[in-house]
Amino acid sequence: MSGTDGSLDWVLILAPYRRDAEYLKTLLTQHDMVVKQAAGPEELAERLNEGPGILVVTHEALNPEVLDLIGGHLAAQPSWSEMPITVLLDRVAPQARIRAELGGRWPRSRQIFYQRPVATLELLSGVQSALLARLRQRDVRDHIEQEVELRRELNHRVKNILASVTAIFEMTRRGATSLDQLADDYAGRLQALSKVHSVVFEADGEAVDLTAIVERTCSPYRSDAGDRILAKGPPIRVKRDASMTLALCFHELATNALKYGALSRPEGRVRLDWELSSDADRILTLRWIESGGPPVTEPSNPGYGTRYIRSALRGLFGSPPQIIFDPGGLRCIAVGPSSRIC
Amino acid sequence: MSLTLPPLRILYVEDNPLIVFHVEAMIEDLGYIFAGSAGSFAELVAEFDTFEVDAALVDIDLADGRTGPAAAAWLQERGIPSIFVTGQMRVAAEYPQLSLGTIAKPISTQDLAEKLKWFR
Repeated sequence: MSGTDGSLDWVLILAPYRRDAEYLKTLLTQHDMVVKQAAGPEELAERLNEGPGILVVTHEALNPEVLDLIGGHLAAQPSWSEMPITVLLDRVAPQARIRAELGGRWPRSRQIFYQRPVATLELLSGVQSALLARLRQRDVRDHIEQEVELRRELNHRVKNILASVTAIFEMTRRGATSLDQLADDYAGRLQALSKVHSVVFEADGEAVDLTAIVERTCSPYRSDAGDRILAKGPPIRVKRDASMTLALCFHELATNALKYGALSRPEGRVRLDWELSSDADRILTLRWIESGGPPVTEPSNPGYGTRYIRSALRGLFGSPPQIIFDPGGLRCIAVGPSSRIC
Repeated sequence: MSLTLPPLRILYVEDNPLIVFHVEAMIEDLGYIFAGSAGSFAELVAEFDTFEVDAALVDIDLADGRTGPAAAAWLQERGIPSIFVTGQMRVAAEYPQLSLGTIAKPISTQDLAEKLKWFR
């Protein structure tokens, strides 16, 4: 047990008379508890800031300054926190009055009173039980922090998705020549985004198998004629953001092939393969190669698909892809360090 | 004698590739040269030498955290002026000395066209 960093697993003792403090410290230490002492108000303030699990205090220590110090600390506690305080009272002390007063001055604390002389077993089990209660509070704290973090992350991702959807819309609108075309292209792109989102979600939001991305993205083009898109390559796990980009690229390539390229003819085929170099740089090469389609000519005005693939693969691989409008079939080849993608 | 200056080469520091795609197209349509993009401050530093850049657009939140201001400062040291492009207008306003100004997200072509002129 460390007793620092707000770990809430140690005992703070405030007992101005040396004998009491020493006795308590020895007893609790013998039973594997971490104990710190405060001799006076100044040290008490300091120690309270370190985040004790519980406070053990003797009756004589409770002068007005100490009462206020503790009260201030309790009032400043975060919502999950209710510090247990063990108070050791003298037999002759006016117990009812003290309990009433402390109850009023120390909000949101769990007060446990013992009458001296205290039976060792009672005190020990009381302190241990209070520490355990405190650790439960710590769990609550951790859960709250986790939730806050998740919400922040969720907000970030939702904003990001909305920005992506807006960008897709704006760019689809530019290239559209009719409302129907705009609607179809936009729906197709959103569907591709949605599919890869499912793949990433199924992978717990982390790296995704490249084959899974290919299969989900290209499935609409494979169902009718079997494996017209032949995907081949070693197992590679792709980072979340890179999966999004690759899926959208495959979507553009596949829809283009279906409209104008190899997949527009029954005998046309696409070969999608990738490989990793064996040297230290681990260079990834990704190729989309069409064959058996109608003769290809380079479009005079690059459309959404070409522009997107150029921009996205350049960003992802760190250098622009080769897009070759070979009469025998379109080829798109991207090469870059795998560390950017995997 | 021609009075036309060569088109400025604009770098975009932004981690969402679809926004890069959109802005890249807008930049080119406005007659500038798109010099490339970096998704994080770390990537900017690692790849700066591969870009030919006159000016930069910089997002505030990047892949390595809220590093946009640091990226703009780093570019400034190398003589490259920046404009912030962000939804975090308040954060951008905390660093007036690091940029010529801020373009709000979502970005309109008109706003982008106006503000790119500041680089002249």
